[in-house]
Amino acid sequence: MSKTVRLTLGHVVFIAAFIGLWEFLSARGILDPTFFGRPSGIVMYLWNGFIVERNLWTDLFYTILAATIAFWGGSLAAILVGLLFAMLPRVHRACEPYLTLFNSMPRIALAPLFLLWFGLGIGSKIALAVSLTFFIVLSSTVAGIKGVNSDHLVLSRALGAKPGQVFFKVTLPSAVPIIFSGLRLGLVYALLGVVGAELIAAEHGLGQVLAYLQSTFDMDGVMALLFLLALLGLSITIAMNYLERKLLVWQ
Amino acid sequence: MNRMTATPPAEASVSPAAPAIALNDLTMRFGAGTETPVLAVDRVSFSLAPGEFVSLVGPSGCGKTTILNLLTGLLHEEHEGDVRVLGKKPRSGNPDIAYMLARDSLLPWRTALGNAAFGMEVRGVARPERQARALELLKQVGLGDFADKYPKALSHGMRQRCALARTFALDSTVLLMDEPFGALDAQTKLTLEDVLMDLWSAHRKTVVFVTHDLAEAIALSDRVIVMSARPGRMIADVPVDLPRPRSVRKLQTDHRFHDLYAQLWGLLEQGVTNDE
Ligand SMILES: Nc1ncnc2c1ncn2[C@@H]1O[C@H](COP(=O)(O)OP(=O)(O)OP(=O)(O)O)[C@@H](O)[C@H]1O
Ligand SMILES: [Mg+2]
Repeated sequence: MSKTVRLTLGHVVFIAAFIGLWEFLSARGILDPTFFGRPSGIVMYLWNGFIVERNLWTDLFYTILAATIAFWGGSLAAILVGLLFAMLPRVHRACEPYLTLFNSMPRIALAPLFLLWFGLGIGSKIALAVSLTFFIVLSSTVAGIKGVNSDHLVLSRALGAKPGQVFFKVTLPSAVPIIFSGLRLGLVYALLGVVGAELIAAEHGLGQVLAYLQSTFDMDGVMALLFLLALLGLSITIAMNYLERKLLVWQ
Repeated sequence: MNRMTATPPAEASVSPAAPAIALNDLTMRFGAGTETPVLAVDRVSFSLAPGEFVSLVGPSGCGKTTILNLLTGLLHEEHEGDVRVLGKKPRSGNPDIAYMLARDSLLPWRTALGNAAFGMEVRGVARPERQARALELLKQVGLGDFADKYPKALSHGMRQRCALARTFALDSTVLLMDEPFGALDAQTKLTLEDVLMDLWSAHRKTVVFVTHDLAEAIALSDRVIVMSARPGRMIADVPVDLPRPRSVRKLQTDHRFHDLYAQLWGLLEQGVTNDE
């Protein structure tokens, strides 16, 4: 048996044992399903939500849509502003204190404000998610551009490279790995921002469903939603890892 | 300054044409106008005939890198005296000059081929031409089979070979090299010195080669210029009358090589101690 097969098998056995024990303890009444839910109940909830009534699809869709829009919008704006800062260091210095101030703020506290401004629709959660993603990607872009190897700059200047050439052939490519790690974190935070806003108030979305289930003490549902969110986060990480391997073969 | 007067065959065969590089009483300060100006280079004069290979040796901080930077046009500080490259004032991005640094400074996101072509790319050589030439040079430095490898997959020696390919691919007439093999182990260094000699014999560039390694300086050069500790002054300009083509490896057992070594060592010692 190869090593990976053994490892996978080990995980499967462990998870099966864990779920079996959980189910067993719940059935015996040792673990109170009112607080912990119960595996069979969780599966039932998901079955209902996705196959029978199909209401979870809509919420899943809204959460993913909002996170995607926030991620793209926030990252794109952040990279553009980061590049602008690289070209105009004085503007960067002038803006820095305000950015630091805003960035030090616990962003979730802005949710009530955004709800007032943008309503219960998709706008308010996108705003909250952008307020997280933007700053993460911005600071990694700035760090990436600052971190360019000075030997590379000396070499380019000795070769007579024009500022545009230096930027596109040296500075930018050298910043890509750091920008990418910012994007990876930015995507995770986009999801966090969206779900956070939904928890507080929203028309649709997994966070909103979660808040509702919690208020009605439906623990199977709560556990099912947590499982779903974990799965969502995991697929983001896997996708980003894949992209990184494709994009940064030279690393 | 005790300039050696012996006329070696190498110097005699050089045409009386205009020098490729000429420094005339170069004096240079850093932080001129501030409270503590640093006199880095003090009245240095030397010149190189086209195709000459000259080494610059001297204690750390004596202004060797400063002189190279000045020739490349990378330094804009005020200086006294006259500096000429192919008869013209230095300017940055001069296509007549190729500069090679101690560290290979390969771009990690480019393959060996992309790196070897980088200089030409910046200088606007068309793509098919620069690819062909970069591959040709990679073959000359023994990296033909590694053209599509990224720097992380290359050893130190291979990376420096790639940097050599990048430098020679430029086809500039003047080459400035700042301790290009300083970071290599002794064996790899000898191998690369031979690679450099082969390239130089094939391309005949004018080379200013900065090094701390006297053996390397003697083995490669037509002349060795010895400088004193800061402020950098010229102590001696010693012709190396060893026949060419040379094999750096074979020279290691040549007695004239060792005589020159002893002579230069004495001069260098004098330059370290004999200064106010
Ligand atoms: N940008 C600078 N500003 C101020 N002083 C400088 C600057 N660059 C070099 N110097 C000073 O000029 C002197 C000569 O420096 P340089 O780098 O040319 O020495 P070097 O001979 O190349 O030394 P090494 O063998 O250690 O490389 C040194 O004393 C250094 O401190
Ligand atoms: Mg130096």
